[in-house]
Amino acid sequence: MKSPFRPDTVPDPAILGLHRPLIRSLRRRGLIRGGFSLGALAMLTGCDVHRPEAVESALLAVSRWNDQVQAWLFDPNHLAPTYPESMILKPPKFNAYYDVMHVKPVNGATWRLELSGLIADKQPWTVQQLEALPQRSMVIKHICVEGWSYIGGWSGVPLRTFLEHVGADLRAKYVAFQTADNYPSSIDMATALHPQTLLATKYAGETLADPFGYPVRLRTSTKLGYKNPKWITSIEVTNTYPGGYWESRGFNWFAGI
Amino acid sequence: MRRIASGRRGAVGIGTKTLGAVVTVVAFASIAAPGARAQSATPGGMPPPPGMSLARSAAMRFPQPVRVGDLLHRDVLQPVESQNVLGTVRDVVRDSKGTILVVMNFGGFLGFGSRPIAVPVDAMALLGQDMEVVAFTPGQLRHFPSFASSDGVPLSPDAVIKVGLAKPSH
Amino acid sequence: MDKDRQAGRRLHPLPVRIMHWINAAAMLVMITSGWGIYNDDVIIRGLHFSQFLRLGDWAAWSLNWHFAGMWVLVINGLAYLAYGLATGRFRQRLLPIRVSEVIETVRETLHLHIAHDDITVYNAVQKLLYILVILAAIVQVVTGLAIWKPVQFSGLVALLGGFQTARVLHFLGMVAICAFLLVHVVLALLVPRTLWAMLSGGPRLSRPALDPHLARQAVEELPRP
Repeated sequence: MKSPFRPDTVPDPAILGLHRPLIRSLRRRGLIRGGFSLGALAMLTGCDVHRPEAVESALLAVSRWNDQVQAWLFDPNHLAPTYPESMILKPPKFNAYYDVMHVKPVNGATWRLELSGLIADKQPWTVQQLEALPQRSMVIKHICVEGWSYIGGWSGVPLRTFLEHVGADLRAKYVAFQTADNYPSSIDMATALHPQTLLATKYAGETLADPFGYPVRLRTSTKLGYKNPKWITSIEVTNTYPGGYWESRGFNWFAGI
Repeated sequence: MRRIASGRRGAVGIGTKTLGAVVTVVAFASIAAPGARAQSATPGGMPPPPGMSLARSAAMRFPQPVRVGDLLHRDVLQPVESQNVLGTVRDVVRDSKGTILVVMNFGGFLGFGSRPIAVPVDAMALLGQDMEVVAFTPGQLRHFPSFASSDGVPLSPDAVIKVGLAKPSH
Repeated sequence: MDKDRQAGRRLHPLPVRIMHWINAAAMLVMITSGWGIYNDDVIIRGLHFSQFLRLGDWAAWSLNWHFAGMWVLVINGLAYLAYGLATGRFRQRLLPIRVSEVIETVRETLHLHIAHDDITVYNAVQKLLYILVILAAIVQVVTGLAIWKPVQFSGLVALLGGFQTARVLHFLGMVAICAFLLVHVVLALLVPRTLWAMLSGGPRLSRPALDPHLARQAVEELPRP
């Protein structure tokens, strides 16, 4: 079965190279016009001058190297510190690449989790089916790349349990996510199999609220906040580097903590 | 001057009173820099569109249940990148019309000289462990009358109210 | 130590000069990119760094600069520490420090007597500042490691008092290094021979640089006529 993550026809990569200067200048103009009004992106305006392409690719090369160092540092058996339930921040802190009023709630009744890639049983899943699998709860610290943190309590099926259940190839390199808010994300298989990596459906014992990813989001204790996609709609197991929303804008991919 | 004062207040906010004093060099660098006052656009704490009622704009922020007791003593921030501290939450009250107001110790310097003002909860938002005033500028808040205890009845710390959300401003 | 071999040595041998300037560049990268990272969640409310002072046009690139610069800083720093310990440079140039000398130097400086006739001998305050800034750099690496990998090194984070405390310590380490830099650069500009010495190597040492007290002691021990 073909992955829904890939376009029907693959464009000739040369086209991208050919049009790169044009795309860059259009993007720049668009940004200057204020076409992108999002907070983090607003800072991109007119800054290409300070980031020559050679410097950019050198920094990205080091970032790739840092991915490998972090994978090497990652201990699959080391659990993140946990905290008493009394320390859970209620409600949790909201963040996204857009402001909260632009959150588009997902209808849990019609929602299905699609599966693709190196998975034996690709039947879509409902929320009830997910909640029927063995659940785990954890009270862990959420650490954002921006520097803030808070203690949150999450419950759901461990991603490992789910991947085993659907017959995923656990030797594959990546687990990739698509979401209802167009926030593609991906993690390494070692992290996917970590006991504190959940497909979370509950916060502080209650069904996830809309702004925090209802019905299902990823919650992993060993990565920065931006590696925890909300409103997940599909999961793919793959050996092809899937990247992600912030990663394609310069953030580090592994983002382990 | 205002900015500098609120910066010092912030140092108290994180419980390291001396921090503000020891970083004079850094603070000087920032304040002296020409662009230091230029705040970026802040969609995280955007005020409601003109003409929209506070209640309607708050409803767009996905109000979440929160215990009144969990709001007390929180820092109240200005939704800008520098996260200026406007004050701290002192009380949550209900006025005679049934509107829920957050009473905050507003302004002052190093915790002295602040005065209580009451801000409608619909003009505020939750930002993690802090709160923000999203619908009024500090200039507008300065013109708020001081809150008197007869202006509202305090809610019990165990009462649960709904407050809208905000994302970090930068 | 082989005194004859040291006899013709310059005040700042070539490896020291190379490592000093690599370190200077790495420190500038780390500090200015760090300010870019800091801005996304300020530690001192009200204080943020203008774009003019930051390396990286927004957080993603400040982070990339920071996590590239850290390799240069750490590798160069380890080489510098190894060199300083192996050649005895630290022991010769930075030790001993006597409290009385520190007080004396501070008093002289307050009276605007900046005695720098012999740039081959560090005064007590200089020694103290150099030791403190080396320690501050080590603190930065340790606290930096803690906030980079707070789960993998959760023991270290607990030792430092938690993730947010580690962040504040990392910030304070930066403040300490900036304060040192300010004094260091101002003094280098006031006594330009020192700046030139860090580029050219400075005067040749006719003998191993001696602590003035040891020198005085040596003179006193000479047989009297």
